[in-house]
Amino acid sequence: MKTFIKATEIWIPDKQRTQLEFGSGLYGALTEFKAASEQQHFAYDEGLPGKAWAQGHPVMLTEFEHSYFKRTAAAKQAGLTCGIAIPIFSGDFLLAVVMFLCGDDEDHAGAIEVWSNHHEADKLSVMDGYYGTLQDFEQLSRQTAMSKGEGIPGQVWASGMPVLIEDIGQPETFVRGVEAQKAGITTCLGIPVAHHKQQTYMMTFLSAKATPLAKRIQIWMPDAQGQHLVCQQGYSKKNNELAQIFETITVKKGEGALGRVWLTGMPIITGDHDAEYNPELDNLSTMLAIPVIEQGRLQAIVTFLF
Amino acid sequence: MLNVLLMDSGNDNALLEHSLIQHGFNCMRIAYGTVFLNIISDIKPDLLIFNVQSPSENLLSDLLSLNQQQPLPVLMFATDGHIDTINQAINAEISAYIANGFDCDRLPSVIYAALARFRQHQGLKTALEDARAQLEERKLIDRAKAILIQTQNFTENEAYHTLRKLAMDRNITLGEMAKNVIAMAALLK
Repeated sequence: MKTFIKATEIWIPDKQRTQLEFGSGLYGALTEFKAASEQQHFAYDEGLPGKAWAQGHPVMLTEFEHSYFKRTAAAKQAGLTCGIAIPIFSGDFLLAVVMFLCGDDEDHAGAIEVWSNHHEADKLSVMDGYYGTLQDFEQLSRQTAMSKGEGIPGQVWASGMPVLIEDIGQPETFVRGVEAQKAGITTCLGIPVAHHKQQTYMMTFLSAKATPLAKRIQIWMPDAQGQHLVCQQGYSKKNNELAQIFETITVKKGEGALGRVWLTGMPIITGDHDAEYNPELDNLSTMLAIPVIEQGRLQAIVTFLF
Repeated sequence: MLNVLLMDSGNDNALLEHSLIQHGFNCMRIAYGTVFLNIISDIKPDLLIFNVQSPSENLLSDLLSLNQQQPLPVLMFATDGHIDTINQAINAEISAYIANGFDCDRLPSVIYAALARFRQHQGLKTALEDARAQLEERKLIDRAKAILIQTQNFTENEAYHTLRKLAMDRNITLGEMAKNVIAMAALLK
């Protein structure tokens, strides 16, 4: 996929629930990395997915060489330089680990950050970040702290819900708006991912209009009666009337891919994996759907459509 | 001038070759073997002629492959006039099977009949493929319309016009747009 994210995968506990095994993945043209991944298993605290399981929060690796990353040779060959593992928990129990893999590329502007209140209990700061070639923006971000409600990480913290801002040029919405604009970043997606005792963790995905995170991003939420999923927001670089039509539908629990995510709490990758990916066409053939779970209840589903 | 490739396969073809040249055909003569398909691909003749006792299974299999990969008119003279052999040859999509050898005087008319038969057969195949594709596209459009009717409470007319507008906006066919609608529905529903 010619987006900022080059591959995504889902790792799920095996039958004994002592190891993570390959669930599914979207690799685009990275067929050798795909082959290397499908046979892998990760024990608790082993490799990047295993670390995310053990630590209970998102873990990011920006250097694979001489690290605990297990697929270094295949990743190097595929041009992948950064991995982010996001654990999906229901209470203490791991449901799955979602991995995003990115590669350094002059043409791809974007960043992925993990925000946490690990330094100060009432302030969020960057715990881990991948900024590709955006050094100035990285420097600023790592020096920034945000209170609950402030900026996008703060809004996500305050609401406990995903937030998608299509135009982050407004300083009142996005604290780093001016610097983001300088770096070419236009869109930000924030997702609450883990909450343990006093520690809270959010992910932010920042992307440039020319190299979006995905062809379309959606946020689905259960309606007030908890009967149906309703699409709250959908965004893509170009207006996509077809996607908009389908964003007017409501989805029952257990119905279709989104309904299954709601029913099981498991992230899902679905669609025609073999379809030829053309970044210029606005047809959507595959989807990664990530549940946002709080106290064992589904709060929202974030979908990345490719 | 018609380029004829005469394939040697058992029978002596000297008289046939001489007759073809005499009737004004451009004739090349090569032995049939394992690289048959590659040779045809390189030479690209207008017509292929075999003169055999009876077509072997290998030869019939090669001719069927040839027809699937690069259809060509094939004329076969054979000594074997058994009904089973003729049926097998026709199943291998040979344009004309002439039992009991060739007659030099009738050679041009047999060749032109084989060419005409081949063209007619190709025309029918193309028409059949087009009809199948249209039927397939119609099925896709009907499925996409059904999805729009079910999810959007559209009437059939509204569903069709929505599909058509989406296709026109994207400058793609109705069938391609229907595929996109079906894919999208499969993703979300």
